[in-house]
Amino acid sequence: MLGARRTRSVLITLLIVAIALITIDFRDGGTSGAHSIGGRIFGPVERLTGDVTGWFRGGGGNAEISALQKQNDQLRAELAQAQVSSQDAAQLGGLLHLTGQDGYKVVTASVIAAGGAYSDTVTISAGSSDGIAANETVLNGDGLVGTVIATTLSTATVQLATDAGATVGIRMARSGQIGALTGTADSFSGGAPLRLTLFSASASLKPGDELVTFGSVGGRPYVPGIPIGKVTKVTTEPGSLTPTALVMPFADFTGLGVLGVVVSK
Amino acid sequence: MSDRRVIKPFVGERSALRKTLVAAALPVALFAAVIVQLTVVNRLPLPGGDAPDLVLLLVTAVAVCSNAMTGALTGFAGGLAIDIAPPVTHYAGEYALVYCLAGYLAASAVAAISAASGGAERDPWVSVAVMAAATAAGEAGKAALGLLLSAPDVTDAAIKHVLPGAILYDLLLTPVVYWLVARVARLAQPASERAPAPVFIDARRLASVFRSASAGAAPNLRLAGTGAKFSDDRPPRREPNLRLAGKKSNSFARTVPGTTNSAHLPLAGGRATKLNFAHSGPSVRPGYRTGGSALGAGPLPAGIARPGRTPKLNFAADKSAIAPRRVKSPGKGWLRAAGARSGASIRAGTETGIKTGRGKAAASGRSPSAGWLRTDQHRPVAPARRAAPGKGWLRPARPPRANWYSNGPSSSWIRRSRSQARWRTRRRSLSGSLLSTVRDLLPTGDRR
Repeated sequence: MLGARRTRSVLITLLIVAIALITIDFRDGGTSGAHSIGGRIFGPVERLTGDVTGWFRGGGGNAEISALQKQNDQLRAELAQAQVSSQDAAQLGGLLHLTGQDGYKVVTASVIAAGGAYSDTVTISAGSSDGIAANETVLNGDGLVGTVIATTLSTATVQLATDAGATVGIRMARSGQIGALTGTADSFSGGAPLRLTLFSASASLKPGDELVTFGSVGGRPYVPGIPIGKVTKVTTEPGSLTPTALVMPFADFTGLGVLGVVVSK
Repeated sequence: MSDRRVIKPFVGERSALRKTLVAAALPVALFAAVIVQLTVVNRLPLPGGDAPDLVLLLVTAVAVCSNAMTGALTGFAGGLAIDIAPPVTHYAGEYALVYCLAGYLAASAVAAISAASGGAERDPWVSVAVMAAATAAGEAGKAALGLLLSAPDVTDAAIKHVLPGAILYDLLLTPVVYWLVARVARLAQPASERAPAPVFIDARRLASVFRSASAGAAPNLRLAGTGAKFSDDRPPRREPNLRLAGKKSNSFARTVPGTTNSAHLPLAGGRATKLNFAHSGPSVRPGYRTGGSALGAGPLPAGIARPGRTPKLNFAADKSAIAPRRVKSPGKGWLRAAGARSGASIRAGTETGIKTGRGKAAASGRSPSAGWLRTDQHRPVAPARRAAPGKGWLRPARPPRANWYSNGPSSSWIRRSRSQARWRTRRRSLSGSLLSTVRDLLPTGDRR
């Protein structure tokens, strides 16, 4: 039948286009122009819808609450900075060349959309027009949330710390041991969604230990000193070189509302 | 969908408007589904941490309610929208690929199943089942493509956890989404319900097409179908009969002796008279004809009936033979005349006609030969003959301008036409013909 032949040719064309898009995006590491076009198209609508749903949730709609939230985020960031400065400013400063920093500036935004089942990503209602760039730390009043991985003019995509592709450098608040924190696929079950691996084989771990971000050069993608969570279960296996543990984050990743993005000053 | 076959010939404008509206609603629905999926559904704290995929559900529902083309296009558009909409979760084009395939396959499967079951109707349960299967396959396809591209999020553990829950949520929503989409799609359906109306138009168009087709394809049909070729009045009109006589194998073995005045079976002789009369024309003298008729003194109506039909059958089998129409009408008319009277009266009438010549043909008006003559006399102009060349023999009462095709070809005629294969090609070449219209009512798919 003529129609079937035409349909088949259209299908093949569409598949080729899709594969070409995948190839281009794969080459660009997920930052091809298609995403910015999509941001321009869908971003404003998502912001609008996110505002509406936020109003229904009763959280983000109230101006006073969001102002307080922003203040809280700001204070949290400054507290982290102050703690870092007071405790081992010299050590960290020497290590990370952070001595000259005089605090952070926080841009607040609300979560307007969320990614699919496999990835823990959210869209926030602020983008590059608000000064947000990729690889900036995102936090809320409870602790670390994640980092910005992509921005459009009016929106930004935040990769949550629980995403399987996210790795955060941490420092144990008590012992000062350093390690790495990765998201796990178990994050969906509501259990401990983060897996901690310490770098030192001799380091001790016990449930209840708190950990903060270790910080990266220039504060990207993570500024130092942001509280992340606490150890719930030590899972070090006999014979393994490094201690491992499951970590429950302070932030509630299932009910994210207003987030703060630490913008470099 | 149950009232799909209801004939509503006069709702054309409204249904076209509706169809346009429904077609315009599709992109809007897709856009809305993408937004709702990203801003609401993905954020719902559902048990298990999974979420249904509204866009995939919409794509498969649209696919099973429409055709493969719409399914593929809808799938591509919906998938691409999810791909590029702000939360950057995977490479652009991944879901476009998966949803496009899911939509195409779902529509093709439904079309194939409904074609296999033989009905134009689509069973809603079959549609729902196919839609559920396509949705599950789409979810699996998303995971498989993520694995293939080694996306960091799509690990074995993640798939094991996500996939069953996602499919479960999708299956729960499948009937709901199907119901909604089918309801909207039904708004566009009066356009297809209207399809029986074009059937009448197409029947007429089919007649004209048939006419032109027969003019080009078969020279034997040309004479009856188009007046232009028929304008040579007498000689071309007789020649076919001559040719027919030559081509005939069995019947004409009997016919020729009849002409040559040799004694033969009455049955064969009776038919020979007529055929000879027709084919020989002026070259054969009346005496031979009369003699033939006299020899076939008692042609039994029942006996004649078989030879009378023979030319038609032969025509149907023989490509280069003579116009069906020409052969048919004389044969029929002759038979009818023979059946109406006894053999004796036929003989008497024929003899009278021959004796009295043209002028007195009215006396034996029902005799075939005489009728033919009289037709000649009363309508000396060629167009008049052209109007009803064959019927003039026996049925002059028929409207002279009436074309044989004016009522469209009868089904028996179509059945009798020479080769099925030829008809099929003709039919297929006409996008708007009767049969392709009927086929358009059927769900499109890879059925041919």
